[in-house]
Amino acid sequence: MVIKHKNIFKTQSAWSNADEKMLCLDTGSWRTSRPVLDKDKCNYCGLCALFCPPQCMNDMGDHYEANLDFCKGCGICANECPRKAITMVPEGEFTDG
Amino acid sequence: MVSAQKGQVRVITGNATGAYGAMLCRPDVIAAYPITPQSEIAEQLAQFKADGVIDSEFVEVEGENSAMNVVLAASVAGGRVFTATSSYGLVFMYDALQETSGFRAPVVMVNANRETPGIHAVSSGQQDMISARDAGWVQIITENDQEILDQIIMAYMLAEDNDILLPVMVNYDGFYLSYLAEAVEIYQIEDVDKFLAPLKKQSPRQKLVPGVSQGCGTHGMEMGYVEARYKHTQAMERVKNKVDEIDKKFGDYFGRYYGGQIEEYRTDDADIIIIASGSATGTARTVIDAKREQGIKVGLIKLRLFRPFPAERLIQALKGKKAIGVIDRSICFGWKYGPICMELKVLTQELGSVPILSYIDGLANLDITIPHIGRVVDEVNEAAKGKPYQDVTWIPMEE
Amino acid sequence: MVETTKKRNRVFNYFCQDEQFAGGVAWCAGCPMELIARLTPKVLGKNMIFVGTPGCAAPVLHGQNIGAWHRMAYLASVMTGVPSKATGLSRYYNRIGQDATVVCFTGDGCATDVGFQPLSGAAERQEKFIYLAYDNEGYMNTGNQRSSATQIGAATTTTPVGKIGKGKSNAQKNMPMIMLMHKPTYMATATVSHLEDFIKKLQKAKEKSKEGFVYLHLFSPCPVGWRIDSSKVIEVCREAVRTNYFPLWEAENGKPRITVNVANPKPILEFTKLMRKYSHLKEDGLAELQKQVDERYALLKTLVNAGT
Repeated sequence: MVIKHKNIFKTQSAWSNADEKMLCLDTGSWRTSRPVLDKDKCNYCGLCALFCPPQCMNDMGDHYEANLDFCKGCGICANECPRKAITMVPEGEFTDG
Repeated sequence: MVSAQKGQVRVITGNATGAYGAMLCRPDVIAAYPITPQSEIAEQLAQFKADGVIDSEFVEVEGENSAMNVVLAASVAGGRVFTATSSYGLVFMYDALQETSGFRAPVVMVNANRETPGIHAVSSGQQDMISARDAGWVQIITENDQEILDQIIMAYMLAEDNDILLPVMVNYDGFYLSYLAEAVEIYQIEDVDKFLAPLKKQSPRQKLVPGVSQGCGTHGMEMGYVEARYKHTQAMERVKNKVDEIDKKFGDYFGRYYGGQIEEYRTDDADIIIIASGSATGTARTVIDAKREQGIKVGLIKLRLFRPFPAERLIQALKGKKAIGVIDRSICFGWKYGPICMELKVLTQELGSVPILSYIDGLANLDITIPHIGRVVDEVNEAAKGKPYQDVTWIPMEE
Repeated sequence: MVETTKKRNRVFNYFCQDEQFAGGVAWCAGCPMELIARLTPKVLGKNMIFVGTPGCAAPVLHGQNIGAWHRMAYLASVMTGVPSKATGLSRYYNRIGQDATVVCFTGDGCATDVGFQPLSGAAERQEKFIYLAYDNEGYMNTGNQRSSATQIGAATTTTPVGKIGKGKSNAQKNMPMIMLMHKPTYMATATVSHLEDFIKKLQKAKEKSKEGFVYLHLFSPCPVGWRIDSSKVIEVCREAVRTNYFPLWEAENGKPRITVNVANPKPILEFTKLMRKYSHLKEDGLAELQKQVDERYALLKTLVNAGT
């Protein structure tokens, strides 16, 4: 038998290793609407960031901004914001998506 | 390495021997759940712990499935582990058996062979072990109490070898050996330490350590899965020679040799061969001697390694023989032959058109007696002369 | 302009470790289990090790060949072996003096159904690890089949609503109460709408897991299976607490204590109206559900009052 396969695992057993290969999905592409912040209403309480399931709200020092690479557009930040400072806007209204 | 000191000779049961064997190898974690005919091992190990003879973590699990999972995880974390079971206990471990071999965890387990199929049977038979043959484990069958002890020590040497890294199941006939008390030499623990010391000199195997980025039990995706399976089967192939090597080293040090994968008895000049395994081989030797005196040139092969199947050693030992009789203590659903016989039949091309006769005997605690084996020898002898023979014989059904 | 406090929520102060997961992972939009999975390592810190199993968490906790979705040490298991594997790990780490917080991360199907035996066994033996069950009341990863954690009346793919079928006909197994009877060193119910409560319980869990068995039961509604608008998931958690559908409590050594008191519990409709899994329920169905909720809460209250 001629083995052409190049080994994926270095060891006998099949283990994963993030140092060698960290996987990541383009979950930003799932989004149908994106969170848009009205900075005037925001008081930097951080609830949007705490409740965000993918934990993808970046701390900007005086407000939070969703990392659109990963934001799935669930809308929890908008729904939970005590000051209603976040609005979910359909992706169709943006040209960068 | 010089030879070991003389150990203490004690008259103990096969089960107690299993516990002593484990004790001598200093496992880090032991988990065991009671089941007839194995329960005494769990009890004995618990007593060792209570008496301070061992300092292992001892987990009194709530079932066999958990027993295997406990030792599997402790093994993956880097520990030396031990467990014991039998029959439905082995069946209840089935998912964990697959993981243990798939994770390449060097777990050592003794299994007191007991019947297992749908009908409940609290009696001896190798059906449990046969039902687990495709779980990716190394399976070794032992014949007497001393061999149980010796094989456990050899099992760690095999399982933890970096070239192998596979779980090893040490089997012995339940009831026959589990409750049979005979003289066993229990080696000095320092000598066992010395014997197993080379394992520590290897480069450390992969271990699951908190705080280190690593996942044990990753999804094998496509070629990842294929590669893992290929490596597993290659390791299984390496087991065969390794078993022979370890047997030699063990014999040189402790003074007892078992022949490695198979033990041959009066096979050199034999025309016909009987293949047996486990406790029945003792009876078989008596019959072989008697038949030799009657002028029948018969030899015996004791099958020690069942998984991987010792094909090369068997071909070497059986080449040129005129007929072969195989005694199985279990059945093989879907084939009329017994399981060991069925596996041997794969070698038909290498062995030529030699008659291979399958005998099913010793199910459900029925003894494989001297007359039974005598009959096998006589029939195989007739087949060797070219006489017609019966393919498969259920000996107790014809009595 | 609204005056900003310029002070972050104090919950952030509980975090002692950075994000351990990749930014984008295969969990559904709005899933509270994703939040639980991401927050747990942040609170428990280094030397935490997850033991996981097939279920919603598996596609991310398990690696794919050499690749991994997170930076933690992880052991994969079949559903029947999770607490036993955690036992093996914690016993061995304890033996060699390796600091470790072993956390089983399973769904309700594993905890209450197929993996219950080893869970009960490990609790009885007071094994030193944390068993964290995210309860989405069914087998969501396989497509919303019922588990014994599914509540009465709920429509699932194996308890569908039809001409005769009215959703699940039996009441939910009262899992937190079953675990309370095991008298674990520490146990708690929690949910992500009450984050500080949840995080404090996680911290306590870590501390107590050095002494004995810890069980955490986390309410984690499934936006897909329960048919909830993904933005309303945290609201559903909150309403579950406010209706006493999922009361928040903890127990040390078997003595329960309510951690979030609900002064005037809302009627169950305030919870059920947020999802479609109960949308077929008429007045009698809702009354039956209300009865289950009231009975369970009354039992909890009785034990709380008796346990002091």
